[in-house]
Order: sequence, then C-alpha cells, then structure tokens
Amino acid sequence: MAGHTTDEATYQKQVSTVWKSTYLMAGVTAIEVAIALVHFYFFHDTPKYYIVGFMIIATLIKAFYIVAEFMHLKYEKKALILALSVPLIFLVWALIALMVEGNYWYALLH
Amino acid sequence: MAELLEEHLISEHLDLPAPNNKEGGEDTPMGASYGKTMMWFFLLSDVFTFTGFLIAYGAIRVSHQWWPDPNLVFNGMPFLHGAKVPLGFVTIMTTILILSSVFVVRAVQEGHRMNKKGVAIWMSLGILGGIAFLACQAWEWTHLIHDGMTPFYNVYYAGENGETLKYVAEHGAAMPAVSPGPPLFGGTFFGITGFHGFHVFVGVILNIICLIQTLNGTYERRGHYEMVEKFGLYWHFVDLVWVFVFLLFYLF
Repeated sequence: MAGHTTDEATYQKQVSTVWKSTYLMAGVTAIEVAIALVHFYFFHDTPKYYIVGFMIIATLIKAFYIVAEFMHLKYEKKALILALSVPLIFLVWALIALMVEGNYWYALLH
Repeated sequence: MAELLEEHLISEHLDLPAPNNKEGGEDTPMGASYGKTMMWFFLLSDVFTFTGFLIAYGAIRVSHQWWPDPNLVFNGMPFLHGAKVPLGFVTIMTTILILSSVFVVRAVQEGHRMNKKGVAIWMSLGILGGIAFLACQAWEWTHLIHDGMTPFYNVYYAGENGETLKYVAEHGAAMPAVSPGPPLFGGTFFGITGFHGFHVFVGVILNIICLIQTLNGTYERRGHYEMVEKFGLYWHFVDLVWVFVFLLFYLF
C-alpha cells in the first residue's frame, strides 16, 4: 500500500474497524477477568478446569483480532497468509505431545 | 501457470519497480515487499521460540499435583500498600499493552495518508504505553523478588488443604535451603515474562528510532511510511505474545 495514499472513505472505515476491534478485545478481557474473579471468590472449591475452556477460546479470539486486524494479515495475499499459518500445525502437534507427556510425569510422580 | 506468473508480475500495490526478470529476486509472490515479508517470517520464528517455552511450562504445570494460585500470588497493587486486589494490576498492564498496540495501528494508518504529524503523535503514544508497561513489569518483579522469589526458589507453597501460603522467615532466620514450593514457578515466570519483557524493551527502542526518523522527515523524503508498518508488526507481535502469557500465568 506504500506509495499510495488511502482515500478518505477507506481511511475512515479502517479507523472505525480498529476501534471496534479494540472495544471487542477490551470486552473479552473484562469478561475473562470477571469469570476468574467469580471463580476465585465464590467457587473456590470447584476445579479450575471448568473455566479453562472458556479462557482458551477468549484468548484465541483476541489473538485472531491482533493478527488479522492490527497486523493487517487478513488483507494480505493468500500466499502470505498460508505460508505463515500452515507451519503452526507443528505447534499443535508439540502441544498435544507434551501435554500427554506431562500427564505421564504426573502418573510417575504421584 | 502462465496466468499465475502474470499475476505476480502485477505490482501495482507496491512501490517496487515492475519486475523485469525471474533471476533478480524482484518477483513478489507474497504480495509484500522484501522487508515486510522478512519481518513476518522473523515473527513466525519467534512464535516458535515463545511457544516452545510456553508448551514446556504447560507440560511442567500438568505434571505437578499442586501449583500456586495466581490470584493469591499476583494480588499486589502499587500505591495501595497491603491491599489485596487479585488480577487487578495485571489487567491494567494488559490494557496498557493492547492500547499501545492500537496507537501504533493508528500511526500506520496515518502513514498511509502521508500525515507526518499524525504518525509522530500516535507513535509517541505507543512508545509511552510501552514504557508504562515496562515500568509495571519492573514493579511486579521487584515485589516478587522482595518476597524471596528467584528463578530457582519459590516461597509460595501448599498448605494442608492445598491452599497457597507464602513462606515468611522468622525475624533474623535464614530461608530454608530447599525451596518451599515448586522452584519452576519462579523459573518459568521470570524466564518467560523476562523474555517477553526483553521483546517489549527492544520494541520500544525500535519505535523510538521510528519516531526520530519520522520527525527527521526520512520517510517523507522516501515517499512512503512502510518502515512504520514493519516496526508496527513487531510491536503487535509483542502484544500477541502477552495475550498468551496473561492466559497461562495469570488466568490458569
């Protein structure tokens, strides 16, 4: 986009998209913290993994908005998007493998 | 195939000269300039580094029967001495870093309009946010180190019913030689937030360089503000990592 100046309408649209993403991320963070605090103060005896799933989804939503909107990846060429996202498959494998291993260590130790 | 190559030859969105051969590396299959593409791939490699650390932390964490409750460890608040505010301070830190990221997005957008003053103002706000975040982190670290935490020693240990207790030595007495709680609670915290904090520090330096070059008119003379985008990408990445650090160290 460098070398061109954006026209006024596009500029206004981009600015409002960024602020909308900001409000959304602030809202998601507020809900995360609220749920963590409700669990801490009122449901301290229940295991934490009831809320863990929600926290992971909320974090992935925030991560998506940072990469897609703030880093502008959504508007790049498909070749770049794929080149950057496909290698992440290895991290999914590493995550699953190491969590399984962690559970095995747990069984060994306890 | 011929159509595909044709498409690659169209470089109307770029400020590069039209590619004239296939040997000079002037083709742009990614649709982005060399510098921007390389910044993206550097960030991809950094994603792997950070994820390696975070997955190791996760494996260690699930292998332990007990781990200190972050709500009871990270509950200090500056200027409210002794007050217990679970997650309060770290929520402020998260807000500061996300806002700082937004300010830099605004700087990039002003750059697309060749608005030098706009870039300078938003970039300055972004730098202030980064410095504020580092100051918060310094306060948090000082607080924990004061309590006796080190990368190899952890003062938070399990009580009889699994509650989180803080070991406080009797007046004049030495701390026990063996760490009261799992030592890697300190090790992973200082290691991973330290590595992230170092990235923030580097990002602030890069943003200051960007601001100086903007004010000097370097980008104006160059005819585009693409360098703001490249530094901006790095800055957003720092925010991206923090979202996951916040999840794994403070919410879990």
